[in-house]
Amino acid sequence: MSADNKKGLAKAHEIYSNRGKYAREQKNQGKKIFGYFCCYPPIELLTALDIIPVRILGDMEQPITLADNCLPPVMCIFCRSAFDIGMKGQYDYFDGFVGAHACDGAERTSIIWSNYIKTPCNFHLDIPHTTHDAAVEFFKEQLEYFQKELEKSIGREITPDKLRSAIAAHNHQRALVRQIYELRKLDPPLITGTEMLTVLIATMGMSVQEGNLLIEEVLQEIKQRENVQEKKSRLLIWGSLIDNAAFTELIESSGLNIVIEDTAIGTRPYWHDIRDTKDPLLGIAEHYLKEVLCPRTFRDSGKNYEQDSEQRFSYLKDFAKYWKVDGVFANIIRNCDIHGYEVPVIKDYLNGLGIPVLVIEQDYSTASLESLRTRFQAFAETIAS
Amino acid sequence: MEKDNSVKTMKSAKTLKTAREAGYFGKKMLTDAIKAQEEGHPIGWSMVSWWQGDFIAKAMGMHLVYPENYGAFCAAVRQAEPYLEIADSEGFPNNLCGYARNCLGFAKCLRDNNYVIPEGAPGGGLARPVLMLASGCACDARYKWFQSLGRYLNDVPVWNLEMPQTGVKEYYLPGNKEKNLRFIVAELREFVKFMENLLKKKLDYDKLHAMLDQALKTLNLAWQVDLLRRAVPSPMVSQDFWSVMIPHFYLPDDPEAYSFYERVYAEVKEKVDNGIGAIPNEKYRMMFSELPPWHSIGFFDELAKRYGIAMVMESWNYHAPTPMAEEELHGINDPLEIIARLTYHKWMEHNTVAREFDTAPGFFNAAYLRWAQEYKADGFFAHPLLSCRPATYTLMHTRNSLEEKLKVPGVVVPGDIIDLRVFNSDEGFSKVEAFVETMDHYRELRKEAGMAW
Repeated sequence: MSADNKKGLAKAHEIYSNRGKYAREQKNQGKKIFGYFCCYPPIELLTALDIIPVRILGDMEQPITLADNCLPPVMCIFCRSAFDIGMKGQYDYFDGFVGAHACDGAERTSIIWSNYIKTPCNFHLDIPHTTHDAAVEFFKEQLEYFQKELEKSIGREITPDKLRSAIAAHNHQRALVRQIYELRKLDPPLITGTEMLTVLIATMGMSVQEGNLLIEEVLQEIKQRENVQEKKSRLLIWGSLIDNAAFTELIESSGLNIVIEDTAIGTRPYWHDIRDTKDPLLGIAEHYLKEVLCPRTFRDSGKNYEQDSEQRFSYLKDFAKYWKVDGVFANIIRNCDIHGYEVPVIKDYLNGLGIPVLVIEQDYSTASLESLRTRFQAFAETIAS
Repeated sequence: MEKDNSVKTMKSAKTLKTAREAGYFGKKMLTDAIKAQEEGHPIGWSMVSWWQGDFIAKAMGMHLVYPENYGAFCAAVRQAEPYLEIADSEGFPNNLCGYARNCLGFAKCLRDNNYVIPEGAPGGGLARPVLMLASGCACDARYKWFQSLGRYLNDVPVWNLEMPQTGVKEYYLPGNKEKNLRFIVAELREFVKFMENLLKKKLDYDKLHAMLDQALKTLNLAWQVDLLRRAVPSPMVSQDFWSVMIPHFYLPDDPEAYSFYERVYAEVKEKVDNGIGAIPNEKYRMMFSELPPWHSIGFFDELAKRYGIAMVMESWNYHAPTPMAEEELHGINDPLEIIARLTYHKWMEHNTVAREFDTAPGFFNAAYLRWAQEYKADGFFAHPLLSCRPATYTLMHTRNSLEEKLKVPGVVVPGDIIDLRVFNSDEGFSKVEAFVETMDHYRELRKEAGMAW
């Protein structure tokens, strides 16, 4: 049965399981498909040109083979995996590729990608590291270049109205995702972490309009639910992204309910709306630089360690409070420096709030997942007691 | 701090007399900072920023020390391990940058000793800073590391310098270079404001200008030494460079560094004029990339002895840039803009080669395509580093590009800048032994293709 014949969670699962097939079907219908790295390229610009933005992910189930010739094994395994499946032709439906200087791994992979995997349009978006006014201005200028390259590639201009309408559609999607998060405040939550992951990944391969319809169906479906899962300790996931449901299933079958994720496939792309500014690109630049809270962006340090931690992580305190979090899983994909440096800092901060933290560095492979089960079970038992 | 370890390490004899004298500058940076602190001067811990922030801080009377360099120093004297172990025990992942872990371990010891440098710290240790000057250029560790140091240096602010890392194609978009430069200058102005507020004094622009003039002279001379190294046989090898680089990389504004480079130039020139090679039996000319195993630089002496391999050029990011074209600086008197142009030029100057060879990125990669021809390289020695990953992300791609576009093959020998346990010299020798035949084969291929070397 194709995704068209399904609705809500079943449809999300179908698309999540067959991202390439779904994207190819869209392409066969005459749609343009662009791949993009991480949650920093503003997909609103793609939507404004009726391009479907497909988030580039890796595949925890596939061994890395072809990437070894181009990226060293010491590199972030997620980036290597994404590049590997790109080299294997699994993203051969891209009409364009948008790389981004999100972190070192994403930046170098994006640039190296352009050498080996050719697409009709290719743009590398440089992203500043700070949130100063000059950085916002610089980022906005880079977005202007990005916009021009897209327009050249598609042969149409993005009018301010078109861009505003794309921003509105994506803001609507952000609001819908936040509505699902609201339903996870309940105990037990009305949607599992695994279901949430499949919904988010599915929408990251669809047009924003289709994605919004899907989320509305999901919302309608889960609101009807009663006690879809048993009460368990409530877990917040912080850190590197998780893009495979096998991982969340393992966690949730180890005595934990995932209630919120501060990751790049979680709250980060959805938590804040893009402001309506006179120049829409300014609103976009400010949003992506200031409000996507990945630790890759340096925010000016506070007066001391405590104040600095508070400035950078107080939103986690709110998540913990309102989602009644019992414990935090700090997920580090091995060799992810951006999150790796934060480990003792985030532990200091969360432990200071009385929240236990489980830190696991993992190898982004489903083959090595099962060995983590006992650690999650032990953590669940610890926080339950 | 002393720790016996059974891992085999190798010290290099170095071929230049001046290279053997260069250790003075590393020690000078550390001892000057300690003395300055005793005299009440402010100390800054700084990342290498390709001269973007250094002169401004120094012109305001701040003494800079470089924790990255300190990491290399601790590794070279084989005293990094205890600090690495402390960082591990503090919960930092053990695959983070080795320099960072060394510094995190040292900073914890410093805090635990009430900010008095613990006795026996290698090289006298790092004096307590009032500022940590981070850089977003090259790798994330270089601001994340300083951010995480807040655990031990509680009230020391971090400033992060901005440097755009534009792609090759994007660099050539109309007006983009000027926009990049404008951004750097705007951020430098913010940095000056921040420093004036921190130190409660105004920046002396005349002093900054004078330091910059001196620095440009030193960098120019360092670049001229690089030009001499094109000679066959090679008058100077990487084992020398790793010592000689310290003055131009960290202290180009210091007149003593310039005088030192005059002596380096004279020594290398004399060897070129007399056809004297750095190694007596040069048979193969190789380029090296990235940072070396500081604890085992002698490995390259052994490669020279066993196989006649001269490492004729090395890691792009530690070299002085080619001097900027006159039109680049024409009519520009603002020292902040000159600094911005210098650093940006260093990072972007090889985009022309990248475009010519249709490869990217320009930084970390394209320089080797230029150098392979200019330095008549037979091979490329890629040294992926377990704990300095971002510098090595492009290595395999560079190896592929050199082989595909210039018929220069590469060999990959993994290791680490600090961790002795990761570098297996025996395995390295085996790989290179086999690789020598590959270089012979590719020489024939280049000859058949009518290439010049």
